[in-house]
Amino acid sequence: MADDDDKGYRWETEYEKTWEVLQEDAEGSLQTSIDDMLHKAKRRKLLEKITNVRLGMMRHLFIIIDMSVSMGDQDLKPTRLICSLKLLESFIEEYFDQNPISQLGIIVTKNKRAEKITELGGNPRRHISALQKLKERACQGEPSLQNSLELALQTLRHMPSHASREILTIYGSLTTCDPGDIVETLKILKDAHVRCSMVGLAAEVRICKKICSDTHGKYTVILDESHFKDLLNQHTSPPPAMMNTESSLIRMGFPHQNLGGDRTGHKPSMCMCHLDSKTVEGFSTTGYFCPQCKSKYCELPVECKSCGLTLVSAPHLARSYHHLFPLDQSKEVPITDFDPGQHIFCSACQIEIQEQSVYQCKKCKCIYCIDCDIFIHETLHSCPGCSSSRQTQTAEAVFV
Amino acid sequence: MADSTSTCSLVVIILDTNPAWWGRQSNHGNPKLSLSKCVDSLMTFANSHLMMNHLNKIAFIAAHSNFSHFMYPKRQQREVTDIDTNIGEINDGKYELFDRMNNQIKDEIKSLVLKNMEVEFENDSLIAGALSMALCYIHRMEKEKPIGVKMTSRVLVVKASEDNPAQYMNLMNTVFTAQKQNVVIDACILDNDSGLLQQACDITGGVYLKIPQPQGMLQYLLWVYLPDPSTREQLTLPARVQVDYRAACFCHRNLIDIGYVCSVCLSIFCSFSPICSTCQTTFKIIAPPKLTKKKSKKPTT
Ligand SMILES: [Zn+2]
Ligand SMILES: [Zn+2]
Ligand SMILES: [Zn+2]
Ligand SMILES: [Zn+2]
Ligand SMILES: [Zn+2]
Repeated sequence: MADDDDKGYRWETEYEKTWEVLQEDAEGSLQTSIDDMLHKAKRRKLLEKITNVRLGMMRHLFIIIDMSVSMGDQDLKPTRLICSLKLLESFIEEYFDQNPISQLGIIVTKNKRAEKITELGGNPRRHISALQKLKERACQGEPSLQNSLELALQTLRHMPSHASREILTIYGSLTTCDPGDIVETLKILKDAHVRCSMVGLAAEVRICKKICSDTHGKYTVILDESHFKDLLNQHTSPPPAMMNTESSLIRMGFPHQNLGGDRTGHKPSMCMCHLDSKTVEGFSTTGYFCPQCKSKYCELPVECKSCGLTLVSAPHLARSYHHLFPLDQSKEVPITDFDPGQHIFCSACQIEIQEQSVYQCKKCKCIYCIDCDIFIHETLHSCPGCSSSRQTQTAEAVFV
Repeated sequence: MADSTSTCSLVVIILDTNPAWWGRQSNHGNPKLSLSKCVDSLMTFANSHLMMNHLNKIAFIAAHSNFSHFMYPKRQQREVTDIDTNIGEINDGKYELFDRMNNQIKDEIKSLVLKNMEVEFENDSLIAGALSMALCYIHRMEKEKPIGVKMTSRVLVVKASEDNPAQYMNLMNTVFTAQKQNVVIDACILDNDSGLLQQACDITGGVYLKIPQPQGMLQYLLWVYLPDPSTREQLTLPARVQVDYRAACFCHRNLIDIGYVCSVCLSIFCSFSPICSTCQTTFKIIAPPKLTKKKSKKPTT
């Protein structure tokens, strides 16, 4: 199911329009030409990414999922709901990958009611298994946007002011059945600085658009499944921090890991996370110990239940550093700038570059092929040339 | 389940060629391990890996003190003099192929050492650069592999010199990338323990081992590092090392248990200060900082 990741995308529709641009390659195949266009589109997307923004990285996000009858529609396969749940699974993984110390919660709405499925929390597996259970539930009645937003608001308004408060709604319906005036709710959302975004599955709805624009969120309507995925992914990167978010220095603990075994002399004990689960799970010699009160946990990150200290490991934080130290875009150099007949090789993957342009790091001057350029900027976040030299290995933080 | 011909394994070997460390080694009257003996052992390891499956592949990168050098396979050139026959299967030429690879890597190492005699010697090597090269190469091989072939990739880092703390960010980026791409990082440590590689191996599920007797390096290579990660579960391998995941503060690089983290940029400091030195954010002084929990109770205005 997940193997069609790299294929089409919404540019597919783009190259339908530009059929005449496509050229057959030596073997008479169009594939090279299509790949080339996809590459260009990907690079354009990279260039579009905003740099130089402050990132509010402690995110608190509620996902509201419409589970009304309209989600049973089959314009997405197999149904709108199943398709949404599938895409949300990978969204959640990506969200925690990019926002390691952030939290997320899930709310669903049907029969004019809103129901909280998971509380705000930092463990992706818990949310994903909750999503999987939703697949068995039926889509019923009408949704209530107002009830859902207010349910999310109840929790979000208590979140610390240095953290972001966000709601992302997946909405298939064109109406909402509310107990009161939703404009009142909008006012409260605005006052509480909650950023509301929505992904519409059908057509543009005026009130949804207003809620999003008034709270500085994003309102988008999907074209097809790959576009849907693309729109969801826009919400994995942290939004620019809102003006009001207070910055603070947060006290955090970096617990020692204990692997157990005979040498350590630790007695087996119960971890705080499974204390009320009534199973033997969590009873062992291994775990992470709060440096302040010595409570034991089997997973990080977590907020210590007895002393309140946020417990993380250094790599948790390091996963976010590429947002702070982003790689500069490379310079596109046409192949005609080189001596004709000269062999040009990619400094990273060593391939001989046959395309019309190469990509040069502005700092270390290394030359890369387009595949590596995209891989370096999208996934690796480190330039192989820069990290191979003492003069260029440290990155400068980007702040205004 | 899967037919053995439809799977293959790529091992990228990264050898720390730090001239200061290897130089010191050879100055000993009776060196524990010389660079040439180390390369010989690695060649035997590489040949054994290639012999296990005709689709298996090897790449070799040197991590020097101020650059990384891709040694094998060499960049493909279209001149007749230097055709790399690594691609395509030559059944009786297999040993010839090994010979050629061995000689090529030895020549590369020799010229690398000779060419860089005058450079100022540092006590650490830039492993992160070589690792990111390796990941780009693996990414390319993943794309170029024949249809229907399942490829697993891993990196073996053979390291002797010290860690360079300035590499932390770049190294962690490669570790997270490796984890995403299911690339296992193994570390074979000849001398100084490496906190950075301990984390790399732990996060990617590789083996970290400081070998007790560097003279016997070959034995460890064949025993610990040759088996594919999937078969390792059935072996009794050295116990996992305790990894120190404490954070190093940005101000003094001290390892700390409890620290202060900037909510804007996640920089870590060992003590409270009113301004973040990384992102210049001014913090509201909440004195004492322990009372932050109470604060949210204040009435809304
Ligand atoms: Zn505690
Ligand atoms: Zn490349
Ligand atoms: Zn560079
Ligand atoms: Zn410090
Ligand atoms: Zn900061």
